[in-house]
Amino acid sequence: MIAKSLREFRRSLIWWTIGISAFMAMYLSIYPNISGNPDLYGAQALAKFPGALRDLMGGLQDMTSGLGYLQSVVYQLFVPMLFTVCAMLIANRAIAQPEEAGTLELVVTLPVDRRRLLLQRFAAFALGLLAVAVITLLVTWALAESVALGVGLDRLVAAHTGVYLVGLFFGSVTLAAGAASGRRAPSLALGGVWAVLGYVVVTVGQNVEAIAWLKWISPFHYYATGRPLYQGLPAGDYLVLAGAIAVLVLTAVLAFDRRDIGV
Amino acid sequence: MTAVVRAEGLTKYYGRRRGLEDLTLEIRPGEIFGYLGPNGAGKTTTIRLLLDVIRPTRGHVRVLGAGSREAAVRARIGYLPGELALEGRERAADYLAFLGRVRGGVPAARIEALAERLDADLSVPMRKLSKGNKQKIGLIQAFMHEPDLLILDEPTGGLDPLVQQEFLTMVREVRASGRTVLMSSHVLAEVEHVSDRVGIVRAGRLVAVENVAALREKAMRRVELHFDAPVPAEAFADLPGVRELRVEGAGLRCTIDGRPDALVKAAARFTVVHLVSEEPDLEEIFLTYYSDEGRDDDRQEPA
Ligand SMILES: Nc1ncnc2c1ncn2[C@@H]1O[C@H](COP(=O)(O)OP(=O)(O)OP(=O)(O)O)[C@@H](O)[C@H]1O
Ligand SMILES: [Mg+2]
Repeated sequence: MIAKSLREFRRSLIWWTIGISAFMAMYLSIYPNISGNPDLYGAQALAKFPGALRDLMGGLQDMTSGLGYLQSVVYQLFVPMLFTVCAMLIANRAIAQPEEAGTLELVVTLPVDRRRLLLQRFAAFALGLLAVAVITLLVTWALAESVALGVGLDRLVAAHTGVYLVGLFFGSVTLAAGAASGRRAPSLALGGVWAVLGYVVVTVGQNVEAIAWLKWISPFHYYATGRPLYQGLPAGDYLVLAGAIAVLVLTAVLAFDRRDIGV
Repeated sequence: MTAVVRAEGLTKYYGRRRGLEDLTLEIRPGEIFGYLGPNGAGKTTTIRLLLDVIRPTRGHVRVLGAGSREAAVRARIGYLPGELALEGRERAADYLAFLGRVRGGVPAARIEALAERLDADLSVPMRKLSKGNKQKIGLIQAFMHEPDLLILDEPTGGLDPLVQQEFLTMVREVRASGRTVLMSSHVLAEVEHVSDRVGIVRAGRLVAVENVAALREKAMRRVELHFDAPVPAEAFADLPGVRELRVEGAGLRCTIDGRPDALVKAAARFTVVHLVSEEPDLEEIFLTYYSDEGRDDDRQEPA
């Protein structure tokens, strides 16, 4: 069942891997231009950006160092968002999409327990996303070496693990919503809204007292505050993410097991 | 003899919409059960309840001696959904192989043999299949693991007459090997020649369960006899079951309600040169169930 699910996801997994790798290649290949132009991209120059925009981009501290550049353009916003979108779309293919298409009906009548079926579909999704993460990590590493970014593999692994967990989290949100409702669009909307608001809360919103506490339910908080690229793997934060994912999957299992399919 | 399907008070509401109301039904081992009803009667609802795709609002059902929630028993069921959806780039052959593996293994040769019988092409990506060809894939997957119980929701939809015939042959073979079939349809004509019993649902209620052979015996049929010489009308008067008798010279017409025995014995005293007997029109009988509300209660026969 896992292999069959992975086969279903294969094409979109491949395209996402290519897309994210291309994104990495594009941004990392212009790094030499930027590091060679401290006047344009140095700390003073960046200070001229409007404050809110700087916040949204995670502070834009220093684009001319390898670490600062990688954090600002790659790991701050774009790559987590790409992973999030990719994860939500693939997670939707686990239950909600085949259910709306009607192909799930025959699958749930196979001699496989419903709970087990859902876990297997989740496992296929998590493995597929892991493959995307591993391949794009290797691509990033190779590119970082080729432009002499000066960031160690351990830091890349730390940041990439976080990206994977954030993606897995939002994918699990979508999967749980799909398992409970069987509908594609609302499941995607729930994950999307959570992701956008969660990101805003930990960036722009961190200075607004009224909403700052919301950071606790934003996965980006657990991904970004440890600053994995600067300080290495934030084990505690990532464990919180992993725990949240486990809770979501459990919710999905229970909801899916109770429900009428295809009504 | 334990029932293959035993439903008791099975009821399903979709929110406030009624899908099925208080179904009590037993399907016996080795029989072909035709499940008839007009659109929206509750056939698909019943079938989905048997397969645990949806859960009953009330009542319960046992299939092959197990509760419908027990997943393992579904390896012994073959299911053709009423609205079969097959999608994607995957080839039909790969999909069938996958289904076979999950159900505990199906020899590739058996899949090929079925494909040949139904004239199905397994090398085409499933999204490119026509409706009828999808239906063939659906039939293959339902039959291929030789299940003890086949549940087929409108199996002949989209099939051409030749393939329909082949399908009916396959159904008879299933019965011959002692296995059980439940198939739904809108029209009796589609199932009457293979079914042992038929059940009629209308507006969510089972209104009748009838034995097809008994029904045929009870049915009216028109009979025409020709003799070598004129016959006296009195010789055929007051025969049991004979109605609308008309004798004109050497010809006789009438309708028979039930067995033709009395008429045949009366006619045997003369020389019969020609005999025509029409097939009873069961459809006509069944149409009365569709339209005639008044017979709901006295015809209910929960098996
Ligand atoms: N998902 C659903 N939501 C709400 N009502 C439903 C749903 N599915 C079926 N119904 C209702 O339940 C009743 C029975 O439907 P069902 O699909 O069982 O009929 P059917 O006998 O299979 O009809 P058909 O011959 O058209 O396939 C209908 O009145 C239908 O409107
Ligand atoms: Mg139906």
